[in-house]
Amino acid sequence: MRKRTSWLPVCFMLPATVAVTLFFLVPAGLTFVFSFTDMSAHTGILVHRYVVTGQTLARLAERGFEPTLIDKLGRKSFVIDSPGLEALRHSGLEAPLIAEIEATLRDRVYDTEKALFAELKALDNRPRSFVQRKAVARAVAKTVLNREFATEAALRTGLEALGLVLDKAAFASLRDAAFTGWSWTFDNYRELAASQFTLKILANTVFYVLFTLLFNVGFALVLAIVTFYLPRGQSRFFRAVWLIPRISPSVIYVMLWKWFSDHHGFLSTVLALFGLRGENWLLEYPWTFVIVINGFVGASMGMIIFASAIEAIPKDLLRAAQVDGAYPWQQVRYIVLPMLAWPILFVTSYQTLSLLTSFEYIQLSTDGGPGFFTTETWALYAFHTALSSYFGDLRYGYGAALAIVLVLIGVAVSLLYLRLFDFKRLVAEPPIET
Amino acid sequence: MGAGKLKTLLSALMLAAALPVLILYLWLFIDSMSDSRAGGLWPARFTLRNWRFLYQTIEGHPNIWPVTLNTVVFAGSTAAIVISLSATAGYALSRFSFPFRRHFLAAALVLHAFPSITLIVAIFLMLRLLGLYDTLLGVILVKATLELPLGIWIMKGFYDAVPWEIEMAGIQDGASRFRVWLELILPQIKPGMAALAIFSFLAGWSEYVLPLVLAPSAEVQTLSLYLAGLVQDDYLSDYGLFKAVGLFYIAPVIVFYLIAQDKLMHIYSGGMKG
Repeated sequence: MRKRTSWLPVCFMLPATVAVTLFFLVPAGLTFVFSFTDMSAHTGILVHRYVVTGQTLARLAERGFEPTLIDKLGRKSFVIDSPGLEALRHSGLEAPLIAEIEATLRDRVYDTEKALFAELKALDNRPRSFVQRKAVARAVAKTVLNREFATEAALRTGLEALGLVLDKAAFASLRDAAFTGWSWTFDNYRELAASQFTLKILANTVFYVLFTLLFNVGFALVLAIVTFYLPRGQSRFFRAVWLIPRISPSVIYVMLWKWFSDHHGFLSTVLALFGLRGENWLLEYPWTFVIVINGFVGASMGMIIFASAIEAIPKDLLRAAQVDGAYPWQQVRYIVLPMLAWPILFVTSYQTLSLLTSFEYIQLSTDGGPGFFTTETWALYAFHTALSSYFGDLRYGYGAALAIVLVLIGVAVSLLYLRLFDFKRLVAEPPIET
Repeated sequence: MGAGKLKTLLSALMLAAALPVLILYLWLFIDSMSDSRAGGLWPARFTLRNWRFLYQTIEGHPNIWPVTLNTVVFAGSTAAIVISLSATAGYALSRFSFPFRRHFLAAALVLHAFPSITLIVAIFLMLRLLGLYDTLLGVILVKATLELPLGIWIMKGFYDAVPWEIEMAGIQDGASRFRVWLELILPQIKPGMAALAIFSFLAGWSEYVLPLVLAPSAEVQTLSLYLAGLVQDDYLSDYGLFKAVGLFYIAPVIVFYLIAQDKLMHIYSGGMKG
């Protein structure tokens, strides 16, 4: 057959490629970039600017900035320059007054309103009322406070226009204090390495992944093997039951667990029959519930995969063993389990990755509590840091750094997973060409 | 011990193990339609009061109907996008040889397992810049894209199972590759597409984290956030109400599941949840 290039695969691949690039690859790259910034809810995302506020001055004072300069920065001054005169013209004051101000007071700077008023009173067309004098003052008033400067140069010019000439060191510390944008930094990773919480979170994560995995895979294995030996109707029933937690929306599933473990919930009520006091069991034994809640959801995946692997075992093999007088548990030990080595490996690696990065069920049940970081795992910590801080100080940069470290761990696990998994077979070339 | 006794014992053990799940969901039904005394398990009397959220707005929470509509739009659009993009990309990957094909496949496999927590910070910031933050459109685009890698792999699997003789016959008859795909191949994989559509719809329907982060305000709220909001409301601790809302919310899941159980089971076994 003649070989020619076709546009069909290009057109067919394009929409999916664009979507995946836009919402998968770009964010992944950006996460990396953001992890080297101190971006937060406070700094904003795009806006870089310099603003001197009352708070800035207070901060400068704390750092031992020269008090006279702080005083000057915080003060209003009155400058008769072109922008000031322009503002006067739009102030609705009489033209002769404005003309005289321009002619006689041009380029004068007054530190106080009083000084300005004194000069105004000496004019021929002097403003008659206090209201008019106030209007003049308002038009020519200048302050560095609460004004936005887009660049460092603009900040310097703004200061100079007010007659504030700072030396290099003073300007540098003012500039840093007034900066409200994000900047590049390695501090996220440094903080991560130094923080006392990192180890706690890491230990929590390892504990959570390990025990949920054991519960998950072990339970799935038992379910798959036992249902294999049960009558067909029963095994269908049990498999369907174990699938319910997985197909339920997470919010409902966790809500039911909360009811189950509540003060007046099912568990407390049943235990009351044995004379135990009602408790909020979820908060009393948070790890147990976190592991059970996640384990019940995860068990179904292993169960389905293991069950279909067991179904695939040749029946003759099992029958032969039976004829030879093997007990069911011997069948399991010597025939079924060895046949399941591969699926167990697959499910284990897959679940490791999912558990490392999933936080939905923990967020809904304990939200990392009770108390301080009791059940906080790495993924949940990243989520809390960047997107859902209790105090509202969302730290995008630090959250991104946490996510990047999680990716590195994930990549290490994935590489292992790809190596063990027969990847080449999955990407085999199709039998026909164009 | 005889084989019969062993089986009975195993059944009993299985039942005991399944008891928590059975209890959780049995009482979802019971409590949604009854008043139970505090500390009592058995329903005191039948009532429909728990379903009041259907005709009156719960104080401090949005009305259920716009929320339901949002959820339908969200899940429906997600499914539509996933189906159309993975039906095309899956076909190209299954039937054509083109540059970087292997890389696309590898990328789809890796991205399928890629932790979305690592993306969500950047996606949150991107949507804010694009003006799509707190809109349904934004969260739809993100959810659909996150479901795409799995969708593409599953579609490729369905196409792989279609014998290529069908295509050869079509091409021999002079049809273009596009017509062959549209008129001969697509009908072959209809059941698979339906299963993937249902799966994606349910994935959107159940989604909690993405709307929580990307579209939290009341106007674009989905049912998952609505129910989570009720449960977290300190002034409400009315599990009867929560369970009625829960039953309302889970109903489509149960219906779809009963329709397409076997097909869904196939996809779920490769699904993302932990």
